[in-house]
Amino acid sequence: MAIVGAMGVVWWLVAAASGPEAYATFMSVATSPVGYIVMIGLTWAFFQHMLSGLRHFVLDVGAGYELQTNRTWSVLLPLLAIVITAAVWLMIFAGSI
Amino acid sequence: MGNGTSIGRVRGLGSAKSGSHHWILQRFTAVGNLLLVLWLIFSILQMPGLDYESVVGWLAQPLVAVPMALMLVSVFWHLKLGLQVLIEDYVHEDGLKFFAIMLLNFYAIGGAALGIFAIAKIAFTGGAAA
Repeated sequence: MAIVGAMGVVWWLVAAASGPEAYATFMSVATSPVGYIVMIGLTWAFFQHMLSGLRHFVLDVGAGYELQTNRTWSVLLPLLAIVITAAVWLMIFAGSI
Repeated sequence: MGNGTSIGRVRGLGSAKSGSHHWILQRFTAVGNLLLVLWLIFSILQMPGLDYESVVGWLAQPLVAVPMALMLVSVFWHLKLGLQVLIEDYVHEDGLKFFAIMLLNFYAIGGAALGIFAIAKIAFTGGAAA
């Protein structure tokens, strides 16, 4: 996410700033099968990192250290990240974008 | 121990004398990322199309260009802080550690600068056509 994701967004912006041809090159790579796999992977990585980060915000304020609570959230959030990723890409593939 | 309170120790008075600033900035940029990356995802999902004209016209708007630029600052700052800790924890050879952190700084600042320049160029030159 730090390397591929950040570079991908910058490539998108630079391609858009460089003109239609550069943008077409970006889009052909982004919408290739490998491009979709990378973007789906990045979507999952983002939501996984975001939810884990939110969990750690709660831990940072000193809450949620009970073993059962801690374990429940640590198991639940990675599953939720997969569900959110699936929902986002189902929306995209269903043509609502 | 024995002197000061626990909050006093973490405010730059612990054994390392620094680090809490780094930690706090990582949290600040995390909140920045939370708001701005979610904004980007929802915006992209709501856009009618991602073709060249739509994207350039969208990016040229002030209320898109500015949050996008802020997102790049927040994201690259956050990834710089996070990867720096990774390097400090796992690269033990001093020369290699110095080199890796230098490269990380070049990447983080260079990437953010390139992205912000691209947004600025679109915002200042591409707006009229949109």
